[in-house]
Amino acid sequence: MHVDLVLNGELTAIECADNELILDVVRERLGLTGTKRSCDMEVCGSCTVLLDGLAASACTTLVAEADGKELVTIEGLSDGDELNPVQQAFVDHAAVQCGFCTPGMIMSVQALAMDHPDADDETISEYLSGTICRCTGYVKILEAARQVISE
Amino acid sequence: MRVAGRSEVRLDIVDKVTGAARYASDAVVPGMAHAALVRSTVGHGVLRGVDTAVALAAPGVHCVVTMADFPDVDPFYGEWVRDQPFLARDRVRFIGEPVAGVVADTEEHAHAAAALVVPDIEPLPVLGSAVESLAAADLVIHPDRASEDPELPNVCYRSSFEYGDVDAALAEATYVHDATYTFPAVYHYAMEPHAVLATWSSDGLDVISGTQQPFKVRADLARIFNVPLGQVRVRAPYVGGAYGSKGQSKYEPVTAAMARAAGRPVRLVISIGDAFHTVSRHHATIRMRTGIGPDGGIVGRDTVITYDTGAYADKGPRVARKGAYRAAGPYRIPNIRSVGLSVYSNRVPAGAFRGFSTPQVVWAGESAIDEIARHLGVDPLGYRRQHLKRRGEPFLGDDSPLDADLAEGLGVTAEALGWGSSVPTGRGRGLAVGVKDGGGGAARSEAEVRLHPDGSVEVLAATSELGQGAKTVMGQIAAEVLGCQLADVQVRLSDTAVTPFDRGTNASRSTIGVGAAVERAAEGVRRQVCQAAEEVLGISEGLILDGSDIVVGEHRQPLMELVCASRKLPPEEIGAYSATGFSGNPTGSGPLGAAAAFYEVGYSAAEVEVDPETGQVRISRFVSAADVGFAINPAACEGQDEGATVMGIGHTLLEELEFVDGELVNGTLVDYRVPRTTDLPDDFRSILIQNRDGPGPFGSKGAGEGGLLAVAPAIANAIADATGVRIRELPLTPERVWRAIQPVEPQES
Repeated sequence: MHVDLVLNGELTAIECADNELILDVVRERLGLTGTKRSCDMEVCGSCTVLLDGLAASACTTLVAEADGKELVTIEGLSDGDELNPVQQAFVDHAAVQCGFCTPGMIMSVQALAMDHPDADDETISEYLSGTICRCTGYVKILEAARQVISE
Repeated sequence: MRVAGRSEVRLDIVDKVTGAARYASDAVVPGMAHAALVRSTVGHGVLRGVDTAVALAAPGVHCVVTMADFPDVDPFYGEWVRDQPFLARDRVRFIGEPVAGVVADTEEHAHAAAALVVPDIEPLPVLGSAVESLAAADLVIHPDRASEDPELPNVCYRSSFEYGDVDAALAEATYVHDATYTFPAVYHYAMEPHAVLATWSSDGLDVISGTQQPFKVRADLARIFNVPLGQVRVRAPYVGGAYGSKGQSKYEPVTAAMARAAGRPVRLVISIGDAFHTVSRHHATIRMRTGIGPDGGIVGRDTVITYDTGAYADKGPRVARKGAYRAAGPYRIPNIRSVGLSVYSNRVPAGAFRGFSTPQVVWAGESAIDEIARHLGVDPLGYRRQHLKRRGEPFLGDDSPLDADLAEGLGVTAEALGWGSSVPTGRGRGLAVGVKDGGGGAARSEAEVRLHPDGSVEVLAATSELGQGAKTVMGQIAAEVLGCQLADVQVRLSDTAVTPFDRGTNASRSTIGVGAAVERAAEGVRRQVCQAAEEVLGISEGLILDGSDIVVGEHRQPLMELVCASRKLPPEEIGAYSATGFSGNPTGSGPLGAAAAFYEVGYSAAEVEVDPETGQVRISRFVSAADVGFAINPAACEGQDEGATVMGIGHTLLEELEFVDGELVNGTLVDYRVPRTTDLPDDFRSILIQNRDGPGPFGSKGAGEGGLLAVAPAIANAIADATGVRIRELPLTPERVWRAIQPVEPQES
């Protein structure tokens, strides 16, 4: 099938099978390997992308569902060498260890900031409970998210 | 100090926040094919054959391999006991064991064809746990291997230590505390599943793998395929979490075998479901008897730890030995007997996992001490402080003296929790201390540092960047010693063809091992620069590097000019200053075969609230303290301690691999629950203790495991304080806690 979408700001046409997932297509065909594969069942959040501004799990979302929509992956977040505010907050708070959950976590914080610009600590924690990090214990990630919200 | 001791921005962080960081599962080379493994659905059986004909004819398939295709190789690996073939040979021993491999043009084709492979397995009775294996005398999981114990044919390894006369001590004790504790099998959940890319060429074998031990993997591959070490190259790019699950060989041998058979590069990326069936932390049953004398002192301890190693040894024997050793501490106990058993079963193999045998024995030991203090009617903090070993005393026998002040560290932790102040109604407090010998025993680390004439620095060090921040810390050590800026330092990731030897990134050993080697290499380079400055300028005192310049006192000049003048060569010919350094911990006579390089200590203190209606445990406050000697990068140290603590909360409250007749029944992230943001303590504080008393650069010690060691007993002790009920099994799920706190155990209806 034929899918037209805006991928990281660029009009993109994709020929794919009906059953192909966003995760496979961006990673294997488009070479955008920043989106990570882990649980394969929409539990861990490491493949989180933004579809029309909403957080979506690329491991369980068909490319077909992105037809006519705007898709943003981690590669589309920064503007050249300029980090976006969420990325910068993760740098400022050393909120990264192995880095495998980081792209998905950053996309989740980006979605949170758009969804709940005035989120309190409890909302932040609830919102990010859908993205697993096995390294950091979340302390510095939550600090980074609070910085994003407070800005 | 200028660079060390500061929370410098991690050298890998921009790549990681932009998605540019490359992991083994992202690796691609031209002409690469994809692999999938066929796994046993039978827990124990005789492998009579594998029918590959239909799969071989499937679309896109290059080859289908079984062990019959590799008659010329020695397929076995394992750290002390080499018992695991990279594909099952004549038996299968756990559900999930690879029996065949498929190589195809795409991952989809490989998986589709793998489903068409038909193994012919004659089932044998399953030994579903170590308990069943120990009871079975006529059913042997590894019949071709002589057991450590002729009476117990399924014992993989038996380790024991004995000091003094424990039987006499317990016979004369005024009180003997005798209890059995269990610790669950748990899963690492490194978020990146295992991934390997193998290529054979006239240069030999080139492997890209997310491994903690590239040199160990190199040695395994060289032996298995009978190739010289110099023709095997193992590279570890960024690793998406490991925690022990990516040590020694895992999927490197089978991927190399498939690449050889296919005659092209092959990449294998397993799923998380398959990673659940790769390696776990050992389930353990710990029976601990502790004798108390008339003055309250501990007169003897007799411990038997049964570790369920699963189907293959992996690192099980080492786990059993270390666990037996560590069960003897960290209190002053004159009479000790410790037995550690690594026992085969038809479960997923168990191996290394952060803390390596220690969380299990600290769970038992620190629960037992608390029970004893409460039995004696004394304050658990005061009792511990009175009987903990002192700085300078040997941990066991004549081993290295303890390099930490445990009573002081525990006191700092307790004070931060408010120990001794009134406890809010409905809550309870508990604490615990965990100690493990750090560094992993006899080991060697080498490193090289290069200073180029433009002032840029390269550090070649084979520490895998697992997330712990090694890349940054190695850079900070080099920059501190050389007197340069961290921004001018490039730290290369592990590559056995480029980075000098290191035993592996485990046992919290990188900073004290590889870090010390980097420190010495950097000192060697600095000596060369200072010597040149003496020759050319007549001074070198206080020399530093500032970008491309050297600065000595008031004098500043390009490094390039100094090198040219010293070496009497034009700029394009001058090369670099380079030096190697090494550090080592030699073989010795102690119970572990080498003196402990340092002791890793973690302290935990918890305040909890138990919901009497549901059994839910809420951690209202938690304090963790890590004795790191000196924090080269404090933010990274804190991150390690915070992460270790939350991982510990996982096995304390949530996590348990459940097996039914050897079959893992909760091997998905839906059924197996790891900590999320909402599981954090309401108030959580991490403290770094820095006395500059470690063997690493600037007085540092290893870190990263300590935070995990004492979490479970601290929480269980707090639950006992809150409810009066002692629970000796983990995890402390609402159901388990609720059942325990009922006045009478409800009858099964």
